[in-house]
Amino acid sequence: MSETRYKTLRDVPLQEYLAPGNPLCAGCGATPVLRMFLKALEGRAVFVNAAGCFTLLHVYPYTPFKSSWMYTAFASAPAGAQGIRDALDILIEKGKVPPEEDVKVVCFTGDGAAYDIGLQSTSGAIERGLDFYYLVYDNEAYSNTGFQKSGATPYAAATATTLPTKLQKEGHTGSKKDLFEIWRSHKPPYVATIAPSHIVDMLRKIEKASKYRGPKLFISFTPCPTGWYHDTSESIRISKLAVECGVWPLKEAIFGEVKHTYVPRVLKPVEEYLKTQGRYKHLFHPQRQEHIIKTIQENIYQYWRRVAETEKLDIIIPPA
Amino acid sequence: MLKIRFHGRGGQGVKTSSRILGRAAFLDGFIAQDSPIYGAERRGAPVVSFTRISKTPITERGFIFDPDIVIVMDETLLNDWLARPLEGVKKGGAVFVNAVSGFPPPAGHDDKVFITYDLTGMALEIIGKPIISSPAAAAAAKITGLISKSSILEATAEELAELDLKDELLEKNIQLAAEVYDVIPTPAINTQESEPITREVSPLEYEPVTHEEVIHLDISNLGNSALRRTGNWRIFKPIVDPQKCTGCLVCIIYCPDSCITLDENNKAVIDYDNCKGCMICLRECPLRAISSVREVRVYA
Repeated sequence: MSETRYKTLRDVPLQEYLAPGNPLCAGCGATPVLRMFLKALEGRAVFVNAAGCFTLLHVYPYTPFKSSWMYTAFASAPAGAQGIRDALDILIEKGKVPPEEDVKVVCFTGDGAAYDIGLQSTSGAIERGLDFYYLVYDNEAYSNTGFQKSGATPYAAATATTLPTKLQKEGHTGSKKDLFEIWRSHKPPYVATIAPSHIVDMLRKIEKASKYRGPKLFISFTPCPTGWYHDTSESIRISKLAVECGVWPLKEAIFGEVKHTYVPRVLKPVEEYLKTQGRYKHLFHPQRQEHIIKTIQENIYQYWRRVAETEKLDIIIPPA
Repeated sequence: MLKIRFHGRGGQGVKTSSRILGRAAFLDGFIAQDSPIYGAERRGAPVVSFTRISKTPITERGFIFDPDIVIVMDETLLNDWLARPLEGVKKGGAVFVNAVSGFPPPAGHDDKVFITYDLTGMALEIIGKPIISSPAAAAAAKITGLISKSSILEATAEELAELDLKDELLEKNIQLAAEVYDVIPTPAINTQESEPITREVSPLEYEPVTHEEVIHLDISNLGNSALRRTGNWRIFKPIVDPQKCTGCLVCIIYCPDSCITLDENNKAVIDYDNCKGCMICLRECPLRAISSVREVRVYA
């Protein structure tokens, strides 16, 4: 990484742009990410939010924001962003808004909107080259409405709409959509994955993305104490484990070229990560389901083997 | 018909409580009905659930506006203008409050029986978690005076088994329910069979506001969510030891609610008005300078 403002946690700006007192769950994994985003953009952003947990953030007459925020229907956050961007551009061109008062436009949605319902409108916005940020808080299900399965739900997780684990031993039988790759195939200027535990990495990525004009897309890992059934204090710890176990690779792609920004030297066993959450409880209780744990572990190793080869990474992975 | 209303916070087990009570009543031969209401689910938000117990078929549905018994699972709700747990309780009805210490009945409620017990403390002692679904159901069962101990324990076991709890946790919950059932008294509940509710609908009180007020006080009041005071969601309270704190910023960065700041001495300070008590700060502090104590509030 070349020139960056952010080298250690000491460089995180202390100015707050998100006030306390929001009605989201205690221990939410997404609010630290939103806070950091606002800090990196110095609060100069209009957020466009599709239906989701964060719809609760701003309930009349209370708002935690010092900047603007717009709600849209589930599928149309990028369309909302397009409208705001165009309006700002036109007003600036006509001289009605001074150029120094220009703000960034940020789509902020959950995985339901990003992976499933709003995928086509995002694809359209990327294809049009809309100059915006897209930030997904990926808690791997429709958490706001009671943890129903989404396209982001990983293999073996228990959700409210997969068969009960008593009937279907592995929980969710499908696997998680690779949104990073879907977005990357559009070849936008910037796509990255981030995690609330790796703040410096996150801030550097936002800083780097700001140099590009066009779609800048971020997928954030987001522990959800309510849906994942873990203690509220564990959110950041679980995020760290996800990165260290290789479950959540931290990477970026500039015009489609992928680079991993954090590579654990040795991957921790995925069991450590799975054990922290109630949604994977059926893998260990009442009987340990060795073959499922092994499948999850092998999928992770496979991913990293491929990456280690193409990117020549220094990482120790057990042979297949 | 006996109408019981449970008030608690998301995550405390309010819905499960009303279900356990309903099932126990059914096991004892009554006709029972239970239902929860909650908006978009979130931990800490006020949640209400209802149980109706009757010897004859229940034709009533929906909210209970005139309960005979109210179970308040978090004493801070007594002050919450959104929850208003004591609203509509019948004369001669009973109110159970999960609180550390007793208090005189709030003004205007002298005609009700108040019972106070520290269920959270007991739950922490026995199951190690502040989840009080089974003890609150046991307390409600005992207060009704209709439900036998064996039924409430059986209902607890059946309902919690459906949630796929570990055997050890299940047993502890049953033990907890049994202990609570033994200590809670059965008050004499002398409420009249409810008459059709006639609600006095007051005409909307309209206060003309000037344009400026609307804009500046309501809509564009930047960052006014701090006025909501989410601090009463806490069950545990984080406390910073200024001797150990080095102002390393870790807790400030990870706090989901922007509740921690640095004071002039470079020490972390927690905004207790809004801290929800998630304890991420305690877990992440590299110097272990943050400890936690149980929140003990006195009803005022």
